[in-house]
Amino acid sequence: MRPRTTNDGFPTSTSRSQAETEEVLLAHIPDLEAEVQRKSILEKKIHMSFLVRNLVQGFPERYISQDASQPWLLFWTVQAFSVLQVALDPGNKQKIIDKVLAWQHPNGGFGGGPGQAAHLLPTYASVCILAIAGRPGPRGGWDQIDREKMYKFFMSLKQNDGSFLVAHHSEVDVRGIYCLLTVATLLDLLTPELVQGTASFVASCQTYEGGFASSSHPSYSLSGSLLPPPAARPPLGEAHGGYTFCALASWVLLQPYLALSDEKPSIDMSNLLRWLVHMQGTSIELGGFKGRTNKLVDGCYSWWCGGSFALLEALGVGGIQNANSDEVPIDSGAGNAIWDDVDDGLYNRMALQEYIIYAGQHPTGGLRDKPPKNADAYHTLYCLSGLSSAQHHVFPSQLRKQQLLEAWQASGVTNDELRKRSFNEILSWTEEEGASHIFGGPENRLNATHPVTNLTMTHTESMTAHFYGQVVPPRQRSAPATAGAAGA
Amino acid sequence: MPKKPQYDEPLFAELPEWADVKPVEQYEGVNPVAPIFYTPEYTDATNYFRAIVQSGEKSARVLDLTENIIRQNPAHYSAWQYRYETLIALLPTPTPSSHPLLTAEVELMDELAVLFLKTYQVWHHRRLLVQITREPQRELAFIKKGLEADSKNYHTWSYRQWILGFFGGKGSISKDGDEEIDEDLWASELDFVDVLLANDVRNNSAWHHRFFVVWACGVREGEEDRDRVLKRELIYSKQSISLAPSNPSAWNYLRGILTHTHTPFPLVSTFAQAYAYPRDPQASDKQREIVDLENPLPSDTAELPCAEAMEFLADAWESEGGQDKIEAAVKMWTSLANERDVMRKKYWEHRIRDAHVALRGELKKKAA
Repeated sequence: MRPRTTNDGFPTSTSRSQAETEEVLLAHIPDLEAEVQRKSILEKKIHMSFLVRNLVQGFPERYISQDASQPWLLFWTVQAFSVLQVALDPGNKQKIIDKVLAWQHPNGGFGGGPGQAAHLLPTYASVCILAIAGRPGPRGGWDQIDREKMYKFFMSLKQNDGSFLVAHHSEVDVRGIYCLLTVATLLDLLTPELVQGTASFVASCQTYEGGFASSSHPSYSLSGSLLPPPAARPPLGEAHGGYTFCALASWVLLQPYLALSDEKPSIDMSNLLRWLVHMQGTSIELGGFKGRTNKLVDGCYSWWCGGSFALLEALGVGGIQNANSDEVPIDSGAGNAIWDDVDDGLYNRMALQEYIIYAGQHPTGGLRDKPPKNADAYHTLYCLSGLSSAQHHVFPSQLRKQQLLEAWQASGVTNDELRKRSFNEILSWTEEEGASHIFGGPENRLNATHPVTNLTMTHTESMTAHFYGQVVPPRQRSAPATAGAAGA
Repeated sequence: MPKKPQYDEPLFAELPEWADVKPVEQYEGVNPVAPIFYTPEYTDATNYFRAIVQSGEKSARVLDLTENIIRQNPAHYSAWQYRYETLIALLPTPTPSSHPLLTAEVELMDELAVLFLKTYQVWHHRRLLVQITREPQRELAFIKKGLEADSKNYHTWSYRQWILGFFGGKGSISKDGDEEIDEDLWASELDFVDVLLANDVRNNSAWHHRFFVVWACGVREGEEDRDRVLKRELIYSKQSISLAPSNPSAWNYLRGILTHTHTPFPLVSTFAQAYAYPRDPQASDKQREIVDLENPLPSDTAELPCAEAMEFLADAWESEGGQDKIEAAVKMWTSLANERDVMRKKYWEHRIRDAHVALRGELKKKAA
């Protein structure tokens, strides 16, 4: 029984396109038992050939429109391999490293291609590719990143209100802030000077709906001093899944700094949670996520919205470790005691997997927004990352934090406390053993991805350890988190 | 559809006026994985662009070159960035607010914005230009046309809000650094939203814009009586809900204005009651005789119960607290979890847990 979304006898263009989409999705729901078996498979092989085709043969002419996003095209491709548990051979790795290094700008940061201006978004994509394919040493990519110039480039984009331009003469938005903070965390570039005021800016992008907008006003025009209150600082644009992920991940990355500073900006967590859960479509939409209220479901929001729930857990919302130890099991009357399922998360993880498997896969390889659209590199990665995040429970482990803390080797650097905390936080994310819920059977299992970086845990760990000059203690097989541990 | 580059035009490599420039290939000494299959026209233009960036030349022909690239790939942010720098270099100093070069640029932008509506750069370049020309009214008219073509375009909406905030926001800074409030800019903004919501009451972008205009960006002239404004907006949202109750945009707006004005949710409970339960055929005729403007009833074709109304009522009860109200809220959440909104079962159960924990804390406090 999958009821259609009502239009209350009052059709408008929004309800009409909703109805058309439901019609298409309905056709992708298997109705026979035999069909369920066949259609519940993640077609890893044909997605692999799609990705190999892009990597080896290249991208057709219509991708000229993404010529300024060459790092993204390559990141989406190689990270999709990682999620699919496929490693690259040394020959291809070297070719990839050489290509990435051709994008580094002489004045710091990476551009969208050789000779293109440095920009925060391709800088994130380039550094992430190097985390996957690169290594220390000559021609390895890691030691060829000019960190000093990159830091100067970051500072040159900083505005008085704590925000950053994405590139010189360009816009301010939270995507750029997420990219900058992720790179700064991975490469050990975080300083109080760099992120002062940034958290307040991010907070100002939360809208009345609970999700985050692209930016807030005044955004980049502040050449003078900050406007005094009560100058309004309204978000520009409505709450949106992509911006919400970026804002929330930035918020998580800023926690180590906030813990040490006097800045105390806040966001409305319960309104954010409410907005996020409402982005999940109903059963006729197969539980896919939409990116804005009253818009259509789209596979890429599996990551931007679905992936946001892990970030919430790091901020104390949801997950067994945040559960109140004083609680008693509560039965909503549907049969199962809820307590047993409390670690399943706050959204319907199984339904989201159904959307990606049934509707997100293109029959000739690659993944997509929704049928009958074509697959592309972007949707292939974010559908797979979203699927991975729905399969696994990755959470910031207190136990891991403790291990990292004990192994930390102090240095005389002025920012050592901030460095230590950032290092601990980013590497404390741990996959809970035995807590995976894989729709369609174990063959559909993907690698777990890091909820903040969207790299695998291993790639995040190796790169971070290198740049912080730390030895990361080996991971012990973690015991499943239990209710008993929650009160500790 | 984007205009195809004109292939009968000669390549830059064939033009005598470019003969002094030595084109720069993209990848030298690198055999790139994942190449893009470029057209000869695109390779040609970007080879010359790389050469120009290296030499730092900022001349009139650079405007031709960057326009050529932008038409082939409007997301080429470096071409936009360099074009802007070139334009500024070609204008006299200090930069005048009107100049033939600027006029031509604005006209070109009008053409390109329509062609490449979904590109960040076309909208951002307009921002840079309008800060020089300082003609926001013209922009509002232009955006209006754009929204007729695509009424939910994110860039278009955020650009409109930026224009209003930058040129008309309380405390915005004029060219000379003085405070400037351009109230005229806002004059027809609410009417504009009304028209869009009349066309599609489910257009969330328009609802967000309404919030921006009425609440988020200062107080307009004639809107100083906030109680009256709140009353007006409450009636507006309730009437919108009565037309099509299962419309999360309208409910989110209603919640938003209550929260923004610190108005308790229970103040709207009476209204929500009529939407939160299955239709009662006997009661409805009697009720319908009484026209209560404050609490409009659901339309005859509305599907009840409406999940948004159930959620609202439960939240209102939870905010009141006390055992009876919490139990009523829990009952409502249970019904959402098991019947009306099963997809969000985990969330409703989370709410139930939280409410129980809070209630137990409340009772403990009383006992102590």
